[in-house]
This record gives sequence, C-alpha cells and structure tokens, in this order.
Amino acid sequence: MSHSHTDHEAHNAEAMAEIKKVTIILSVFTIIELILGFWMISLTSDALILAIKGTIVILMMAKAFYIVAYFMHLKHEVKNLIMTIIVPLSLFVWFIGAFLWDGSSFRNLRNDYDPYFKEQATIKVEKKEHGAAKHEATDAKHDAPAAKHETIGTSHETAKPEVEPYY
Amino acid sequence: MSTTTTASPNEAKLWGGGKSPFNSEYGKVMMWYFLMSDAFTFGAFLISYGTVRFSTNGWPNSNEVFKSFPFAPEGVNAPLVFVSIMTFILIISSVTMVLAVHAGKNMDKQGVVRNMILTIIGGIAFLSCQAWEWNHLFHEGAWWGSNPFLNADGTASSTNFTNFFFTITGFHGFHVFSGVVINIIMLIMTLMDKFEQRGHYLMIEKAGLYWHFVDLVWVFVFTIFYLL
Amino acid sequence: MSHEAALHNHEGHESHGHDDHGHHEHHDTFLTKYVFSQDHKMIAKQFLITGMVWAVLGGLMSVLFRLQLGYPDASFPWLESILGKWAKGGQITPEAYYALVTTHGTVLVFFVLTAGLSGTFANFLIPLQVGARDMASPFMNMLSYWFFFTASIIMLSSLFVETGPFSGGWTAYPPLSALHDASPGSKTGMDLWIISMALFVVSSLLGGLNYIATILNMRTKGMSMTRLPLTIWALFFTAVLGVLSFPVLLSGLILLIFDRNFGTSFYLSDIYVNGVGALSNEGGSAILFQHLFWFLGHPEVYIILLPAMGMVSEIMSVNSRKPIFGYMAMLGSLFAIAILAFLVWAHHMFVTGLNPFLGSVFVLLTLLIAVPSAIKVFNWLTTLWRGNIRFTPGMLFAIGFVSLFISGGLTGIWLGNAALDIYLHDSYFVVAHFHIVMGVASMFGMFAGVYHWFPKMYGRYLNNSLGYIHFWITLAGAYLIFWPMHYQGLAGMPRRYFDFSIWESFKQFADLNRFISTVAMIVFAVQILFLINFFYSIFKGRKVTVLNPWESNTLEWTTPINPGHGNWPGEIPEVHRWPYDYGKDGHDFIPQTTPVGEDETETH
Repeated sequence: MSHSHTDHEAHNAEAMAEIKKVTIILSVFTIIELILGFWMISLTSDALILAIKGTIVILMMAKAFYIVAYFMHLKHEVKNLIMTIIVPLSLFVWFIGAFLWDGSSFRNLRNDYDPYFKEQATIKVEKKEHGAAKHEATDAKHDAPAAKHETIGTSHETAKPEVEPYY
Repeated sequence: MSTTTTASPNEAKLWGGGKSPFNSEYGKVMMWYFLMSDAFTFGAFLISYGTVRFSTNGWPNSNEVFKSFPFAPEGVNAPLVFVSIMTFILIISSVTMVLAVHAGKNMDKQGVVRNMILTIIGGIAFLSCQAWEWNHLFHEGAWWGSNPFLNADGTASSTNFTNFFFTITGFHGFHVFSGVVINIIMLIMTLMDKFEQRGHYLMIEKAGLYWHFVDLVWVFVFTIFYLL
Repeated sequence: MSHEAALHNHEGHESHGHDDHGHHEHHDTFLTKYVFSQDHKMIAKQFLITGMVWAVLGGLMSVLFRLQLGYPDASFPWLESILGKWAKGGQITPEAYYALVTTHGTVLVFFVLTAGLSGTFANFLIPLQVGARDMASPFMNMLSYWFFFTASIIMLSSLFVETGPFSGGWTAYPPLSALHDASPGSKTGMDLWIISMALFVVSSLLGGLNYIATILNMRTKGMSMTRLPLTIWALFFTAVLGVLSFPVLLSGLILLIFDRNFGTSFYLSDIYVNGVGALSNEGGSAILFQHLFWFLGHPEVYIILLPAMGMVSEIMSVNSRKPIFGYMAMLGSLFAIAILAFLVWAHHMFVTGLNPFLGSVFVLLTLLIAVPSAIKVFNWLTTLWRGNIRFTPGMLFAIGFVSLFISGGLTGIWLGNAALDIYLHDSYFVVAHFHIVMGVASMFGMFAGVYHWFPKMYGRYLNNSLGYIHFWITLAGAYLIFWPMHYQGLAGMPRRYFDFSIWESFKQFADLNRFISTVAMIVFAVQILFLINFFYSIFKGRKVTVLNPWESNTLEWTTPINPGHGNWPGEIPEVHRWPYDYGKDGHDFIPQTTPVGEDETETH
C-alpha cells in the first residue's frame, strides 16, 4: 500500500520479494500439513486426532488467506473492494455452521430411531479381495436396483452385509 | 458499501461517480464477483460433503484409499505422496501465474509468454495427475454409485464417499481445464501482440484471478478429502 | 461457460462507458434492433414481454386448478378438448393437477417475478438512473436474456412431453425429483425442469454481475452512492442476492442430476418404491437438498420483493411530492434484509426433521427480519403523510403494495415461530401468506413500475381509466382470494390437495372454495384487460409530449422522449444532488442535474 509509483525499480523488487515470501510460506504450510497427516496415520487417540485436524484446518485457512491476499492481490486493492469481498464471504460462517449442525443432528436422530442404521455401524465387513473389487462392467450404475441386496423396507435380519456391499 | 457518508475526502472522491470506486475496470470487478459466486458453488458442494459425512456413522480412511503411486508396484503403501505432488504442481503454477501478471504490469512480453507457458504446463500436469488417479480408482472399483472401500472401523461404507469425491474433484478438474483453455487463449493473444497494442495486460490479470481461484479451491479440496 | 464469456468481452465494450461516446447512428437491422439487441432498454422490454407471456401461462394454470378446487364434482368437456388426456371426461386428473400446481409455482417465482421483474427493471432503470450509456457489458446482458429465453423454451417444452411436466412441487424435493419411478412427472419432465433451471441460473448470474458492475463502476459524475435512487439500491441488493444464492441451487441441482442418472445417493436413503421394490441407495439425506434449495429459496423471496420495494419507494416519493422519508434508514434496512436473507433459510423446514434447537436459532433470526421490514413500512407511510398525493395508477399500485406487504408480512411473524408453524405448515395459511406478501405484492410493484415507466419505455401513456379498473379489481380480488385462505388454513386445510370434498372436515369450505375460484377467474380476466391496455398503448396510446411527465427528479427523464442506444444525445448529465428534492425551498421539484443554489438549504 505504501508503494511509491515513482520508484519503479524498488517497487518491482519489493513485489518479487513478496512473491518469493508467499511461495515459501505456502510450501512450508503444505509441508507441515503433510507431516501432520502422516503423523495422524499412526495415532489412535481421538482427542489428539481432533486437535491435529483442527490445526490442519487453521493451516488451510492461512493458505487461503495468503493466496487471496497476495497472489490474487486483494490486500493491495482499495479497502472498499476488500470489504465487498469479505462481507459476503462471512456468510459462510452460518452456512457451514447450520449445515454441519443439522448433519450431525440427523445422524443422532437416525441412531436413536432407526435401529437398522445403528446396527449397521457395528457390523464389521470382510475386506474384499483386491481383484474382486474391480468393476464387472464399466456401467455399474444401471444394475436393476431390485437385483441388489434388499435391506430396506424388508426385515432387518436379512441384512447380511457380506453380500457384495454397496455397489 | 454504504459507508460513504462518513468517508474521508479522498474516499468521497472515489465514490463520487464518474469513475470506478475500486480503481479498476469493470471487467476485474465482475471477475471478482463471479469468483465469489463460484466460491458459493464450491462451498455448497463441500458443505454438502461435510453434512453427509456428519450424518453418517462411519467414513473411509483417506490414507487407505489414496495410497497408490504411478508406476509403483501393486499394493504399495504411499499415502499422501501422490496428492502432495499434485498440490505442489498447482502451487507452482500459481506462482508462475503471479509472475506472468507481474511481467504484464511491467509490459514485459517475454516474461508473460515464458510464465504463461509454464502455467499452462503446470495445469496440464495437474490434469494428467488427476486423470491417472481417477483411472486408478476406477480400476479399483470406485465410481459414482460404487464404493469398494470400507469404513475406517471396518464396517460397510455408503457410496457417498466416492460420489462426492468424483463430483467435487471432477467439478474442480473442469475448472482447471477451463483455466488452461483460458490461459492458452491469453498466451495466443500475447503472442499476437494484442495486449501490446492495447497498452495493458489487464486480461492476463483477470485470467490470473481465475487461475488463483482454482488453486484456492484445491487448497480446500485437498485438505478436506485427503487430510481430514 | 459464463466465465469465459466474462473474460472475452470486457475489453471490447469498454468504450461504451465513456462520456465522449455520444449518440451514434447504427444501421440497425430488424435482427440487431429487436432480437439480438445489445441496448439495455430493448433487452428490458424483451424480459418484460417474455415475463408477461409466462405470467399469462402461469395465471391460466392457476385458473385451471382453481376450477378443480372450486368445482370438484363438475365436468367441463371443453377442458378435455384443450388438455386432452390430462382432463379425461372434462375433469382434470390428479397428475395434471400436480403438474399445474408445480409449473405455476416455478414459472411465477422464477420466470415472472425474478426474470420478468428484476430482469426488466434492472436492465431498464440501472443505466438510465445512474447515468450510463449502457450496461457494463452489453454483450453479456444480451446473453443473459437469451439464456433466459432458452430456459423458457425448455420449460415450455416440458409441458408437452408424454409423461407431463414435473409434478412434485416447485421446491423439487427428492425423492419425487430424484427418482424416475416416483411419479409420471419425475421422468422426462423433471430432466427438462433441471436443465431449464440450470440455464436460468446462468442467465441470472450474467445479468446480476452486470448489474453490480454497472452500479459500482458506471455512475455518472456526481452520482455518489448516497445520491442513487432507492430503485437502484434495491436492484443492487437484488443482484447481490442472486449472485450469491443461485450458485448454491446450481450445486444442489448438479447433485440431483447425479442422483437421477448416475446411481449416486446424495439425497436418497431407505426408499421403497411401489412396483420397483427397495432401492439400494443408502447414506444420503433428503434434508440436505432442502437445505441447499432453501439457501437459494429464501434469498429468492427477497430477489422477488426488493425490486418492488425499490420501485415503490421511488414512485411513492414522486407522487407524494415529498422526499422519501428516511433515505438512510431505507438503505440500512435494505442491507439488513439482504444479510438476513441468507441466515434464515431453514424456517421453511421446521417440520422436515430439522434439529429443533437449530430451529429455534432460525426462529430468532427470522423474527429479526420484522425490524427492517417495519422500518420500511413506516417510512412509506410517513412519506405519504401530508403529501400532495397524485393518484396515478402507478401510485395506486405502489400504495397497494404497501397494504399487501403489511397484511402478508404480519402473518409472516406467525409462521416464523416454529411453535405456530408446526401447526400451520403446509396449510392454506402458508399459501395465503406467501401469495400476499411475495406473489401479489411483487406483482403490484411490477405493475406500479410498468405504469410509471411506460412513458419512458414506449413514449406513450397507458390508458388511465383501464388502469384504475385494473387496480381496484386486482386489489379487491387479491384480498378476496387470499384472505379467506387464512381461515381455511387455521382450520387445518392442507395445501396441494386435489379434492377436498371427500373430507368431512373440509366439506364446509366447498362454497368458500367456489367463491375463491370465481374471484380468481375475474382477477385473471382483469389482467387480460391490462395486457390489452399495454399492447394497445404501445402503438396507439396517447403520446408523451414533455420530457418529464411525472415531474420527477431522476436522470431517466432528462433523456429524449424516445432515447436511442446510448441514452443521451450529448454529454451524460452531471449530478449535483440526491433524487428526492421535492417540495424544497418553495420548489415543487428540483431535478438531480440542477446545480446547488447559493442560498439553498442543506443538500444531500
């Protein structure tokens, strides 16, 4: 913002330095994310995993900030343009909040009132052979629905998940 | 937006009509608001993904799903490696795009051409990686409406993991593809000296905004699908 | 894709915005002047007339299903001759009834009150009132209309497919919209519905970006944001709402396309279809679609309402010969409504399985809307207060708008309460509420706009006497149709039912239903009268002989009576004041172009 347009050379050097800096920041953040990701694979503590996921989300937001602010040059635009971008984007807070809230509420409702839904989450399934998992045909989508295992609307005991689950 | 009443004299001049309050031509203003609208499109997709994931009891472990690498032996266990390469390709192509825009501001045609070519190569490389990954997943049995993977806890998984994966990465890939097409058009226009004649490289700047947006979306897609 | 269009067209049209552009004579052919026109005024007329065609079709549909509701036992042989198998033996079939209800809703909400209303007046008024030669990108503007036109044609063609148009309600909830086997209308009709709506989203995006960029960037010298007429502010927020909310619908529809055709289950879970059996789809959530739909759907209500509010503010001030009361409060409430529009969507979903605690947050946010709405209402009333009112037809419709907005808005406070809504949802109370506050009120705003700006559009006046007849019968009719529906709703009468005569509890309303249907037909006939007035006046109406027939302050009345492409023959006028200097310092009105006098009292 404090660039003087008269001193073209200095301005240029400054801009290049900024690009370099942001590139390094983005790379470092990505590498940290990856390290956290690898670390998470071996973890079993739910609380720790949640904390790492939170950290990753914060890093994601930071990366987004650097891309928008510097690569997309928003930080150097007129303040009013920045505001007209930021204000509408803040709608995402409630957009995300309400959707996820209702999403998890829907899961609780189904766990409470749909015994089959809950039961399913406890039945372990055989991991399929690698080869068997391949497509029989490119077009798996139009298998007649009735030909697949019938679980819904019929009695729950027939829910034997080892029959080719969820194609 | 309605802050003009309390504006300083300088700002009042900016908003007084007869000129752009943002010091930018309307095309750039439109591009910004188009990108915002597109952010809501992607936002709606990703939030839908989150909603369905939150309303489901189990979910596949991304490290189990995305663990392959091109040319590596079958059954290699290399989670996150391939996607991190894709991420870096896109970041680097974003950097070259910034450099192209910067060169355009200095009316440096050679710099624009060089960096646009690098950006286009980056875009094509990213699309190739995505094509390989889709192909690989397809051969493992994954597609819209078909999910060969189990939940992380070993229970049966619904198809929505693959449904959302292919829809969202597909929509993002479509944006990358149109970005590459736009960049190629920009490159051709640069080579034809269109911008030299106009006296400015503002079109490159607008294409740049679009390209960075594509990179920005990937930051979210990458984190949400591969890390969380 | 729109972004490519956005990229390729800025530069070429840049020159349009500059002052030295002047009035230039093109050699216009019929095709470039009336069909592929890039003049914002012609595009506005195209939107208006396409909207009118849809309004007639949509209105006719309502007449047909009101016929069924009013006379459930009668048979009308002529129906069979126009509807064929959809009215076997002269009685509308249930499938046809649902198709009519659905198409009526879709068409009126999107094609008439979105494209027809903001498409018309944003295109017509924005460049004229901010002082611009044309839109920022006239080419994108033209594309916006032709995308809308294509969407129209596709929607129209869905009426003629063998299995009929979509019939699952305008909200297109899955599973009715997601499964081909769910109903006849869910087959090809629904595919066409989705394609049509997707094109409509593109159209509204192209239009909306243009409106925003024009208002921000193309204002003439001196036209600061706080000197904009309230019409422009309202259209600005309308465009913002559209740009931010329609993409969410697009995402929802894309997921719906995958559910329909590619075997996914985004919205599907645990479904048994008669004759097909249990579906294998699992894990999806139908509520997700409702969230996505209403994230658009609620802002959509304001996309419909805000342009009407803006035009009413302007028309009311002009015809009361008084400044609009509380200009800044009007701006603030428009802004507040625009923000709140995005925060309240789930109040449409109180009984769909929404988390009740989340619902209570939505109740709170919803009731907050009453505040800016009330501010606007009081500002309109105080603008009228002690005004020197000229009861032109436009002004009457503007006053009618305020009346309807109050009547319909008050019931909105009832419905915004989850506790009451659980009882009233999906009843005729809701039908009455949204028809009054959104449907009829916005139609009134649109009529007000047409009557007021017709002289600018065509250089002729509409017939006043027909205008008065049109107004009084429509106003009385609107209340006679929808007022009784409140009582029906309170008595528990559900909406969307085909035949109430088989229910003991609703039989008592047979006469009332017949009365409503009769009034609906009369009101529809009066709209035809308006159309006759409109098209007759385009060619034979009384000619406008003065530049500024309403003695109004805004810039559009400084253009020639029949402005050409470019609007002003010479320089674009400079603006020195806000547009509401009526009755100031002993002057009846002071146009925006008048420089501030030396001994003038404080100006805006």
